[in-house]
Amino acid sequence: MTINNEEDYMTTLLVAKQYIKNFISKYEVYLKPLMKLIVALAAMMMINSRIGYMRRLDDISIVLIIALMCSFMPMNFIIFVAALFTVLHLYALSLECAVIVLVLFLVLFLLYFRFSPKDTLVVLLTPMCFIFKIPYAIPLAMGLLGTPASAVSVGCGITVHYLISYIADNAASFSGTEMEDMVARFRLIIDGFINNKDMFLTIVAFAATIIVVYLIRRMSVNYAWTIAVIAGALTDVIVLLVGDLMFDTNVPIGGVVIGSIFSVLIAMVVQFFAFNVDYSRTEKVQFEDDEYYYYVKAIPKITVAAPSRTVKKINTSRKRSAGGQSRK
Amino acid sequence: MINEEKVILMTKLASYESHEGKKDMLVLNYFRSDYIGFQVLKSVIAATIAFFALFAVYLFYNFEELMQDIYKMDLLEFGKSVVILYLCFVGGYGVISYILYATRYAKARKNLKSYHSNLRKIAGMYDNK
Repeated sequence: MTINNEEDYMTTLLVAKQYIKNFISKYEVYLKPLMKLIVALAAMMMINSRIGYMRRLDDISIVLIIALMCSFMPMNFIIFVAALFTVLHLYALSLECAVIVLVLFLVLFLLYFRFSPKDTLVVLLTPMCFIFKIPYAIPLAMGLLGTPASAVSVGCGITVHYLISYIADNAASFSGTEMEDMVARFRLIIDGFINNKDMFLTIVAFAATIIVVYLIRRMSVNYAWTIAVIAGALTDVIVLLVGDLMFDTNVPIGGVVIGSIFSVLIAMVVQFFAFNVDYSRTEKVQFEDDEYYYYVKAIPKITVAAPSRTVKKINTSRKRSAGGQSRK
Repeated sequence: MINEEKVILMTKLASYESHEGKKDMLVLNYFRSDYIGFQVLKSVIAATIAFFALFAVYLFYNFEELMQDIYKMDLLEFGKSVVILYLCFVGGYGVISYILYATRYAKARKNLKSYHSNLRKIAGMYDNK
């Protein structure tokens, strides 16, 4: 009986997945701007609440207008706006902070994001996940969806997070008038940034996690993705804890464990939707030959990720509810 | 009558043309050496700007010490080490971008090749008719 229940449960999940996929491919035109709007809104509100030093920007109407603008622009525009917001807020705090963050952004952009414009969003999402206390979901998700090169993007995101939160935590000492000397303040920020063992440990742990998840998920064993997520989470926790012991950082152990458990759950959700699925867009193309004009709408075929046996179950489950026990 | 096979093939080609095809053709507008050379040049410029930004941060960070020691230290030696560091930085970055853009060029060429072979297939369909 329990087996039946389990199968029914799986069937329901698969049907739900099918339904969501249909929904996404049908309303993709509207969902994409909506997603961008939500991401932009969340990002700017977080920036404003964390480092809202410039009063004029910390205004919901401005945020809304810019978020609406972002929803119609390419994805990378959100990154640009978020970077601009950060620099402006920090400029209101102190010139040195703004300059240092600007240099960091400039270097990241010039050296890395010229190559991989697809990954740029991670630099924004990583600090956001840190604020939500689930940063461990990022390496798991990127290991599943990306390549080992994503480790660099995630590393950049971590760097940005730690620099900004260092500035935000010590804002009083940067803005106060007691320290007149610009050079001294400049040194203080750089010192705090470079001597941040937490940051380097997190970068190493996340990079290791991404590589572990990526390697395992590509193996041809059953449940490779699930094993990859769990092994990745364990790697993450172990590296963080060992690093904590070795370098005497103050990683909150309880937070790491609980955050990792939540992150595994999130990664499972990601896996459920991303596994073997191509959300490639519906194509509308036009062309002509000697005889016709063609206006073709090509819709990607939707296949259930499970083996075909399971597909049969979906069909029979409907019949079964109508009456007969027709399972093979 | 509409030839279904032909429509499918043409749809695929049209979809390629409007997405990756555009980028691939931009890439293949250049000769291989021109494309890679141009991209590596851009990388070198980007690396130079990044290097100078970081160097400025370094100078400002050590501002006081540098001001104190400026008459004592061997400026020529300092300049030499900066130049060596710069060359290593830019050289390393240039090599990485060379590898990357060489792969991209090869990939674009491969995509375009299969595009052309599909085009020929369509042309064959017309001839057979």
